[in-house]
Amino acid sequence: MIRGVSVALLLSSAVLGGCASQPSSEQALQQAGNDFQSVKEDANVLRFAPKDVIRAGESLARADRLSSYWGSGADVVHYAYLSQRYSAIAREHTEQGLNAERLAKLELERQRLQLALRESKLASVQQQGKWVEQQIASLTTQTERGLVMTLGDVLFDTGEAELQNSANRTVLKVVQFLQLNPRRKVRIEGYTDDTGGERDNLNLSRDRAQSVADVLIDLGIDEKRIQVEGYGDKYPVEANASERGRAQNRRVEIVFSDEKGQLGAAR
Amino acid sequence: MTLRPLFAALAVVALAGCATDPAPTEQMRLTQQALEQANAVGANTDESPELKLAEEKFARAQGNMADQSYKHARMRAEQAELDARLAEAKVLTGKSQEQLNVVNTRIARLRKQLQLGEAQ
Repeated sequence: MIRGVSVALLLSSAVLGGCASQPSSEQALQQAGNDFQSVKEDANVLRFAPKDVIRAGESLARADRLSSYWGSGADVVHYAYLSQRYSAIAREHTEQGLNAERLAKLELERQRLQLALRESKLASVQQQGKWVEQQIASLTTQTERGLVMTLGDVLFDTGEAELQNSANRTVLKVVQFLQLNPRRKVRIEGYTDDTGGERDNLNLSRDRAQSVADVLIDLGIDEKRIQVEGYGDKYPVEANASERGRAQNRRVEIVFSDEKGQLGAAR
Repeated sequence: MTLRPLFAALAVVALAGCATDPAPTEQMRLTQQALEQANAVGANTDESPELKLAEEKFARAQGNMADQSYKHARMRAEQAELDARLAEAKVLTGKSQEQLNVVNTRIARLRKQLQLGEAQ
């Protein structure tokens, strides 16, 4: 008899030990119930993760049902655990759904700002364009040959064809103007005074015009848009009698085409 | 000898409770799949305690399968599956948060540029 009782006790404790020695099933049920309650009451969770909520509820109901049976503590804890996991997964899925919505809104905002920025840049380029045009207008004179800009003698060393650095500012404006008006072309014409031989003067005038053209090309203007001419001592603008007059005659002229690219005929 | 029926009943309860479940092969497959999916989205055991739990439980479930302790195998595999799914979901949430951060950074940069443009 005694032996039988002890065996029975041993067995029952084995049953309990095998399946029910985890944290109190009541506590587990309580926690799972709290978690489920909070996801169930969250409208966003219901919107984004209804299936997870249903599964959390089903597992919880199962745990609840089992809790009324003797010896099923481990099962209660198990289903409470599953329910809690489903609730946690529901939260994650909800956060992902909300983030996707936030992302869509932010994308729209980003596109709006991008557009605004592009417009403001465009406006500033247009302003810049106007400024360059004004500058060019102030540096050129309208003639029957078209718009003409004169680069004076001081921009070259005596007898040399190389353009001095002091011409940079003017040249840059020409480049900007040509970039903003991509259809316009230019003819660059070199002139000298009448001192020196005709041949030398012709060469020097051509070389000076070419060196201005080279700078424009180096700064990115297509060489097809540039014609180069050397006229030597022809077409003086002043009499060569005085030093002042001769200085005026030593020059490079940049003749601009009209907006459609029509350039007046060469002299 | 009156204890004998009780003894038998207890034995039945013990069997019913722990030892008469069929082998949970389908659940094992599902859990395996959930683990693979979690790994595929970039979850790893160093950063995800859930994934670590999942792998440990799955390993023990495999041991239970070998011992034909099918109830334990099923319970551990079920828990491991959800642990893995939670690990996966957390990684994906983190990624969606990162995406938000990237766009927010871009927006801040755009706003700054716009302000600079107005100041000019």
